[in-house]
Amino acid sequence: MSEHNSEHSSEHNELDLKPTPGQRATNLFKRKDVQRTAVFGIFWTAVFVVLGLYIYPKWMPEAMSTDMKAMEKIMVGFTLISAPIAGLVMGIATQAITNRHKGNTPPPDGPAIRTNGPVVVVWSVVSGIFCLIAVVWGIMEVNTMANAATSEAGTALHVQVTGSQWVWSFKYADQGIESDKLMLPLDRPVVFDVTSVDVNHSFWPVQLGVKVDANRLQTTVIHTVPNKLGRIDVKCAELCGLYHAYMETTGEVMTTTDFNNWVTTNGGHVA
Amino acid sequence: MTTLQSTSSHSRPIPNPAKSLITKLHMGTGAVVGIIFAVGAYYALRPAADDPNFYNQQNKALLAAMLSWSVGFLIGIGAFIGPFRWLIGKDLTAEEQLYLAGDGQGIKRYFKYCTDHKVVGIQYLVGVMAMLAVGGSMAMMIRTSLAVPGGHFIAATIYNSLVGLHGITMIVAMIIVATGPFGNYIMPIMIGARDMAFPRLNALSWWVLFTAIPVLCSAWFLGGIPTGWTAYAPLSVQAGPGMNAFIATILIFAVSTAVAGMNITATVVAMRAKGMKWNRVPIFVIGATMSVALAIPAFPTFMLAMVQTATDRVFNTGFYDANVGGSGWLYAHLFWIMGHPEVYVILLPGIAILMEITPVFVRKPLFSYNAAVLGFAGIAGLSVLVWAHHMYISGWTPTLNGPFMVTTEMISVPTGLLFLVLLGTVWRGKPWMKLPMLGMFAVIWNFLIGGITGIYLSDVPADNYLHGSMYVTAHFHYTLMGAALTGAVAGLAYWFPKMTGRMLNERAGYISFWFVQIGFQILFLGMFIAGAEGQPRRVVSFAAMYKYQNMISTGGAYMVGIGFIVLLWAVIHSWRKGDIAPMNPWGAKTLEWTVPYPVPLENFDEAPVITSDPYGYGKGN
Repeated sequence: MSEHNSEHSSEHNELDLKPTPGQRATNLFKRKDVQRTAVFGIFWTAVFVVLGLYIYPKWMPEAMSTDMKAMEKIMVGFTLISAPIAGLVMGIATQAITNRHKGNTPPPDGPAIRTNGPVVVVWSVVSGIFCLIAVVWGIMEVNTMANAATSEAGTALHVQVTGSQWVWSFKYADQGIESDKLMLPLDRPVVFDVTSVDVNHSFWPVQLGVKVDANRLQTTVIHTVPNKLGRIDVKCAELCGLYHAYMETTGEVMTTTDFNNWVTTNGGHVA
Repeated sequence: MTTLQSTSSHSRPIPNPAKSLITKLHMGTGAVVGIIFAVGAYYALRPAADDPNFYNQQNKALLAAMLSWSVGFLIGIGAFIGPFRWLIGKDLTAEEQLYLAGDGQGIKRYFKYCTDHKVVGIQYLVGVMAMLAVGGSMAMMIRTSLAVPGGHFIAATIYNSLVGLHGITMIVAMIIVATGPFGNYIMPIMIGARDMAFPRLNALSWWVLFTAIPVLCSAWFLGGIPTGWTAYAPLSVQAGPGMNAFIATILIFAVSTAVAGMNITATVVAMRAKGMKWNRVPIFVIGATMSVALAIPAFPTFMLAMVQTATDRVFNTGFYDANVGGSGWLYAHLFWIMGHPEVYVILLPGIAILMEITPVFVRKPLFSYNAAVLGFAGIAGLSVLVWAHHMYISGWTPTLNGPFMVTTEMISVPTGLLFLVLLGTVWRGKPWMKLPMLGMFAVIWNFLIGGITGIYLSDVPADNYLHGSMYVTAHFHYTLMGAALTGAVAGLAYWFPKMTGRMLNERAGYISFWFVQIGFQILFLGMFIAGAEGQPRRVVSFAAMYKYQNMISTGGAYMVGIGFIVLLWAVIHSWRKGDIAPMNPWGAKTLEWTVPYPVPLENFDEAPVITSDPYGYGKGN
């Protein structure tokens, strides 16, 4: 934050003598409005940090796959990255509000600051850097997921997911069974081949943190690795007509033994 | 319009334009001719009950009826008299032109095809408020239905229609909420013009839009729309007759925006006062022009998407039918190539209004005019390259998600410039906390939340989870409602004295402001939580685990509703009985505050000459 504020000193400088940058920074922080902005800025930064660290993880369901874990990390990370920016923005705004003018006539004229080159440049560069961090992080994550999908394709369990108005069905071709519940073995990569028999649906196993649209006569593919035992909620995330809201089912991530038992009791064979 | 400008004085007695037809036409004659056209078209094309292609034929008859209504209304109100008279070699006389401009006709001119930009501005203002009221009432019904789990209040068919019609009503209203009323009423005065570049087209843009309103309303009587406002195919192709109303609305609205966008752009380019160089143009004019100019290339793709939906429904063309080689992805692309620029079409004027307001209320120059222009231009330029971030999870080409993530996140840089301009302007100032300025601070917060949540959604792995959830709904309401609508309301409070001659009731304004803004935070906080927890959007029923979040949301929604009812009361009451406004109540330096109320027909007795930009506030300026 200080690098933004220090730039304001140039237009505040009313002395003929050119002070050193150090003196300028000291003078700047002696100003009451700057101090107040800093305090408010720190307060708001803290608010966003707390939001990122404690609130988001609480809101989101328990991560049951590598993808969901990565996604939660990104949510927390992005919040922390944006916290100082949001803090600065809200700090300046809060300072201005506490310095407001009351009454029915316009306030006295403020300083005629038309622009401040260094501030504009620093602001743009800093926001560019934050943007770059977000982009690089996102691309690396996408890359990791794509690599995992390729390298694990051989061992993966294939599930053919079909959406129709308004039910999901899951076909385990290798096991030779079909189900309306999504049962998955723990720690085994899974590939969902998703399609639709009518309109667009969107296959969303919530706790696995992945999602892909189901399109008629097209197969779309997603990959993940369930890494925690527990219940999965499967929902439709694309408005698909009358009973879209009710197009949901459940499933479970279970141990390999339990999964194999489930397969055999349903008339399938372990593969 | 050249004749209009050559009639030098607006105050001379009006010669009676003989018994010209134009004196006899108004909304009523438009409606009569429109209904005759519509009924005629429907009965000419309606299918027999045993027609094997009954549904195709019915769609054809309904679409023809709706479009004929629009054309018939325009004929009946006299929209084409000017071109027609020109064609037969009897161009309108100066007196007739003056009559068309509504000279001396009092309140009647608001119901006529009136070429005066101020009349068109008021028509847009009233129309927009009516649309927002209808769209807002639908939102209240949606939230009421979602107050408790299980969807007991409203049947699923009606609920889905509510979601879609709330969406399209609000999108249409928000596209014109700033550029319609203020772009037409205020902007020409701001740049020192006597009227718009094409006054007849200006009137046309409003009345074309007007004809879309009954068409959209007819969706309710034709069984509603099941698709949401995105109208994804193939769901829209299999939808019932109500879908025709949606298609016709978009076709009509696209014509209106094209006409209005071209007219506003031409006016700003060609009709600025002497000496108003590009770096002296008020920033609202820049923002509004970029917005409408962005709409010109964006909307035709939506129109095309709708034409193809219509032909799929009427002629079984199969553009979106995978069985015959079509694809729903084609629709999604066409839709979002419009859809993402469109959110910036909505946002830019809202922010530009705040940039116009802030220097006045802190008595400081706008901080870095160039950064503001760069910010608008950067957003407008990038916004046409980001559409497929709405399709990360559609599966069309996952390898292109990366590039679209890059372009999308790049938008945060020009957006940051807009924040910098607003914050730089208030920095070291003493903001005068009148209603418009309160709106500015509310937008800083709302747009900050909308922007940050937008960064999560632009990230592919995060969007894999959040796409299609209530989180998205909360996010875009923060940008479109929290930022753009709040900016437009701030603009209303700011320009109300110039547009109505009276001050907006401050007390009611403050009550409304706090109800709306606090309610808004509560409403969408609940929705953010429900979405992050995994509640999909557009659902009539939800699981019990989202109970409290939705209850909170509904409570907040009622607060917003109360706030807007208070605002509506304030507007109506102040318009009729408010305190008479002085010529320049805020002490602003833009040209619109140099003309009296009521603003004379051609705005300026003497054409103004501009020697500086309008932000010369502050010590030492």
